[in-house]
Amino acid sequence: MNQNTTDAIKELLYKMADDLLIIGHRNSEWTGLGPILEEDISFSSMAQDKIGQAQALYVLLNELGEQEPDTVAFMRNANQFHNSQLVELPNGEYDFSLVRHFLFDHADQLRFEALANSSYEPLAKVARKVKGELKYHVFHGNTWFVKLGSANEESHNRMQAAFNEAWNYALGMFEPSKNEDLLIGEGIFEGEETLQEKWLANITPYIIKAGISIPSSETWKPVYGGRVGNHTNHLSPLVEEMSEVFRYDPTAEW
Amino acid sequence: MIKSLDPRITRAEINLENTIEPLRDLDQWETYEVFHQKKRGDQHMHVGIVHAPNAEMAFIFGKEQFGRRGLSVNIWVVKTRDVYVSDYEDSDIYDTVPEKNYREAGGYKVMDKINKFKKGF
Amino acid sequence: MYGNAYIDPNDKATAMTAGEDPKKLEEFEARIARGEKIEPMDWMPKEYRKQLVRMIEQHGHSEIIGALPEGTWITRAPGFRRKLALMAKVQDEVGHAQLLYSAAETLGKSREAMINDLITGKSKYSNVFNYPAFTWADACIIAWLIDAGAIINQVANAKGSYGPYCRALDRICTEESFHLKYGHDNVVTLATGTPKQREMVQAALTRWWPPIMHFFGPSDKISNHTEILMRWKVKMATNDDMRQQFLNMYVPKIWDLGLTLPDENLKKNAEGKWEYTEPDWEEFKRVINGGGPCNAERLAVRRNAEERGRWVREALNTTESKYIVPLA
Repeated sequence: MNQNTTDAIKELLYKMADDLLIIGHRNSEWTGLGPILEEDISFSSMAQDKIGQAQALYVLLNELGEQEPDTVAFMRNANQFHNSQLVELPNGEYDFSLVRHFLFDHADQLRFEALANSSYEPLAKVARKVKGELKYHVFHGNTWFVKLGSANEESHNRMQAAFNEAWNYALGMFEPSKNEDLLIGEGIFEGEETLQEKWLANITPYIIKAGISIPSSETWKPVYGGRVGNHTNHLSPLVEEMSEVFRYDPTAEW
Repeated sequence: MIKSLDPRITRAEINLENTIEPLRDLDQWETYEVFHQKKRGDQHMHVGIVHAPNAEMAFIFGKEQFGRRGLSVNIWVVKTRDVYVSDYEDSDIYDTVPEKNYREAGGYKVMDKINKFKKGF
Repeated sequence: MYGNAYIDPNDKATAMTAGEDPKKLEEFEARIARGEKIEPMDWMPKEYRKQLVRMIEQHGHSEIIGALPEGTWITRAPGFRRKLALMAKVQDEVGHAQLLYSAAETLGKSREAMINDLITGKSKYSNVFNYPAFTWADACIIAWLIDAGAIINQVANAKGSYGPYCRALDRICTEESFHLKYGHDNVVTLATGTPKQREMVQAALTRWWPPIMHFFGPSDKISNHTEILMRWKVKMATNDDMRQQFLNMYVPKIWDLGLTLPDENLKKNAEGKWEYTEPDWEEFKRVINGGGPCNAERLAVRRNAEERGRWVREALNTTESKYIVPLA
């Protein structure tokens, strides 16, 4: 594999892994504090899945010469993270957390689905392995999104407001990379543009069913920057908090 | 506001003296009985209940509460109120006279006849 | 994770069977004596029901409140393995609350009523969770030693007489064995780690020792009341027996790691019994009655969580919903 290809794969892996780690971390903040015991358990399972998936991708990075997964995850500063800004936003209330989960997980499922056929076999293997987890996540997201979107006036209004708040950030998940052509050309990944089209097609029926309206497309302003290390001021405290113990004695095995 | 050792709690800006309305009846929804099949070929077994507002969510909850360590291949959920339950007080309804050996394998002993028949050859 | 149920020593034994049908009571006690389980729709003495509801409910509350001190470290657990394991552990505690509340519901108290009694402070939960988890090492000590105490209690109670509680405990005990291993692994890692880690874990152990000694509760007054509860297989072992069992299993393991315990009188005597400085039971009572360092925070956090989730629950409530007591 030539250097350009390796760099492109690393970039892809970093953005995916960072997305998964940060959203898993955010979602884990609900553990023990969820709206009802049963949902608390389900949401925590999915947060664990996300962090586990992130770890699997950091392992691939490690095989490509990057540092150990723990070091990569717990010793970088916020501006070295490549996650989209969507996932770093604070949880807000359960409406925002659910809307984000719905929007993110559809994209995540499609991304892994495409990667299951990637010419980069190690990633294809991970993608095939997580298929079942993602199916549950998306089923969970769809069910909650549709039910709360259409339940009563308060829940509808809350879900619509959360949706409006999340929308441009969600579009930011598909920030094009400088390596799009290479990744597509070598059959590694289908590219962000295709992914976004599929994503829109997949989420639209549920959005309609939920009675939620999508902002008109001329107002869309995707929030880019996360992929190249530009973040909201929410990420830095998150990363500091996450690595507080790890950094307390970096020479230690925890 | 609570200044907690838990940063999650501090961020939630919780008033230590908060008071809330008590939870009303059905706040926690009704219950579904959950049945898991451990592997194909097995019977579904009752594993417990979940509180849920509808059947899909009962499935979503039942899967994680009772199957998160990967011990099932299929789930049924049914509203508790749709289950007909017999009464333990009536447990004598299960008693039956023991002389019904005509429907037990042990009620049929043919060897005596066969042996007698063979002796007659 | 669990703390021993707090049984009010002032309950009068004579009142326990007053007014019960003697024939039914006899059949009920005979069933238990034969080792059979009692099921939700069976006849049972009012006091049996009352004590079980109180005990299972307190156990459930302890799980949901117990998720808080450990949850303190979810967002800061060091490294993937610890982060994932702690999330799974706290999730299990929430799951245990669900199982226990469900078991208590079969006795006729709704989950709403139990939560209401928790958040208004009417019901108790294990005293240990009114203490703070200052450092990562505190969470590790909780995971090892509090869960170890919980297992002793739960294994005993799993042999009790009430079917739904026993079934819940069987499931819980399986998960607790992961917690215990996880906790021990964490403490061993810290105790055999760098000087900073060792210092951390020793400090946490010293802080947690008094609450751990309180964990099983004061010596039982050997009263008729206790005797009846033991005959009914509601209470399965005395507090002192459980404390002895705990000390016997874990003090050597703690000393193996070269850690010290803040009680110079702690030793095993010639008869094989553990001797220790009598815990401060006045402090125990003060904390149980709301005077501990975290009581107010714990309940305020629970109230807040219930309140923030209310719109979600209300939105999905449908008019045709109808609550009936779960079956098992």
